[in-house]
Amino acid sequence: MNKLNENPVAAARSAGRNALDESAGKQLLSSYGINVPQSRVAKGVAEVDAVMNGLKAPVVVKVMSPDILHKSDAGGVKINLRSAAEVKTAIEGMLDAPKIKGARIDGFLIEEMAPAGHELVIGGLRDPQFGPLVMVGLGGIFVEILKDVSFRLCPITRIDAEEMLAELKGAAILKGARGTKPASIEAIIDVLLKVGGDNGLLMQHAADISEADINPLIVSDTAAVAVDARFILG
Amino acid sequence: MTVLKEFTPLFAPKTVAVVGASTKGNALPNVFIRRIREFGFTGDIYPIHPAAAEIDGLTAYKTLADTPKPVDYAYIAVSGAQIPAMLSAAKGHVRFAQVVSSGFGEVEEGKNLQVELAEAARAGGMRLLGPNCLGIYTPRGHVTFTEIGPKEVGPVGIVSQSGGLGTDIIRRGLSRGLKFSGLVTVGNCADVTPSDLLEFYIADPQTKVIGLYIETAKDGRRLFDILRNAKATKPVVILKGGRTQQGLAAAASHTGSLAGDDRVWVALARQTGSMLVDTLDNFIDTLLIFQTLTPRPQRPTQKVVLFGNGGGTSVLATDYYSRLDLDVIPFAQPVIDALAELKLPPGTSITNPVDCPVGTLQQDDGRVAEKILDIIYSLGKPEALVMHLNLSAFVGRTKPEVLDNLVAAAMRVQEKYPGQSHFILVLRSDGDPSLEARKREFRDKAVALGVPVYDEMANAGHPLAALATFERFKAARK
Repeated sequence: MNKLNENPVAAARSAGRNALDESAGKQLLSSYGINVPQSRVAKGVAEVDAVMNGLKAPVVVKVMSPDILHKSDAGGVKINLRSAAEVKTAIEGMLDAPKIKGARIDGFLIEEMAPAGHELVIGGLRDPQFGPLVMVGLGGIFVEILKDVSFRLCPITRIDAEEMLAELKGAAILKGARGTKPASIEAIIDVLLKVGGDNGLLMQHAADISEADINPLIVSDTAAVAVDARFILG
Repeated sequence: MTVLKEFTPLFAPKTVAVVGASTKGNALPNVFIRRIREFGFTGDIYPIHPAAAEIDGLTAYKTLADTPKPVDYAYIAVSGAQIPAMLSAAKGHVRFAQVVSSGFGEVEEGKNLQVELAEAARAGGMRLLGPNCLGIYTPRGHVTFTEIGPKEVGPVGIVSQSGGLGTDIIRRGLSRGLKFSGLVTVGNCADVTPSDLLEFYIADPQTKVIGLYIETAKDGRRLFDILRNAKATKPVVILKGGRTQQGLAAAASHTGSLAGDDRVWVALARQTGSMLVDTLDNFIDTLLIFQTLTPRPQRPTQKVVLFGNGGGTSVLATDYYSRLDLDVIPFAQPVIDALAELKLPPGTSITNPVDCPVGTLQQDDGRVAEKILDIIYSLGKPEALVMHLNLSAFVGRTKPEVLDNLVAAAMRVQEKYPGQSHFILVLRSDGDPSLEARKREFRDKAVALGVPVYDEMANAGHPLAALATFERFKAARK
């Protein structure tokens, strides 16, 4: 790891970027002790074999480009790929996609797929008057349609984190409603504190990070993994 | 300097300067002079006037720097443009200047003037309140900007970013029994902010509960830090006006688009144990419950008993309170058995809610009610009891003293089981002037006894839920 990589926020800043790409975002999360899937970057098809050697299939491939904010919409995400050959085909397909063709491409993030679990969203936002806020919500329609989220001002305490989860309308789902396995509340609280707590990511980078999304955070009955992350600087 | 010491000259000034009073005696500052004299201010009053030797019988001085003693509090109501020079020339001779004049930051063309004003106050060595506000009401200092306001010093400390609303809070609060430790209108907050005064009220031994009317919190982070560090030692009720859409509209992320208008205020309230309310009435009602009752974190309010006359009212209130996360649930069998033994007249319901027709309530000058309450307290052990009386139903059917008897009975039970239940009184009336007058008289008596009185069950429900929230917050963070 080179020196710039050690602080992805500073690196992106000095490169004049207004956001962290997914890989840098996950690196940042990882440096705060938050689980992210094993991943590596391939510059192009030629590097796929070498990169896949260190990873366990199935994997997901995501395009890395400062020009593409919504990767899925652009056709820049392919999941459930089981071999190097499938990964190469996926990348070739992406390079042909209309919304990706003309974009600047930094490479392709190849990442192990997270085990199944509950989908949550953890976010951050800097309010002009109040400074950093942390948010948690249940993923999918709960966030998109029902806006079932709770906010707190950073830094949060453990009790704050517990109360944030308890006030979600869908909180019961995390306990394993309708035959699903329960989500580890402890693991979610741990991530919330690492993001929004006293020495958490949002407090430490309050001057640089204006918005953050960990979406989804996949939570099983034992662990939480940040599968996608976006940080907007400014 | 401690915050208490720093703000004492504002809340209990020994000398007051008044800028803008005219020799004809009809300007707003003349009215202010008259009001503080009527309010019992006995310190020195210094009218400031460029030419006059005397105003309203008081010796006038040319500038703020010329007064015989330093000025603790200067009330300034002249056209805005001339104020900055006046302040910077005061040279440390003034501690607090309140600029009530408008035409500053609240209008585009006054923004620069406000910056100038704040700089002038700094250069002149004083703290600045306002501009664009109405004044201060401080019974301990015998200074007031309003025509009415009780002289008695109470426990409720208020900061209002709106002057007009500040007047409403005093007037309406007064008629509901609120007693104030102070009320400061801060307008545009060019220097002193609600956070500064919040710090004072938290430290002030006279203040037991704090109310803030806030439109914008420029120093939001500081407000949050003060509230958080205070650890809810005193209840803080926040009436938030306006919205902070700033910066959120442009948000590009999920989180940004979900942040919405007042999420930050909801978050602040939940994290600091402050109570966020939506209306002026709710604000006053909530302040009243904290003025009269002592929160009990060791046994947070959950079970509520409703006791009074009016079956439909009880049913509606049960629904309403349940939506506020308060439990109005039937008594356990031993309570019902004990109540049944009283052999109350037909039409009396002895589960919870306890619904008693007027006939039952007035039996033996309220002594039956006392027996009922005794059983509820000793066996039902609710955290709160709401006694509701429909005054219209008493008219012409009872002796006038029956209300007194009923409340006296409740007070005796209250004393017999100290710390058992919060006691709240709802006096319902149909708006008939004679009934209203009776209610008002009765309300004053009850509030003086430490009983909060409300007009309707819903009006009592919100403050009770706020009290419960506050108690739970303290309990969770012991």
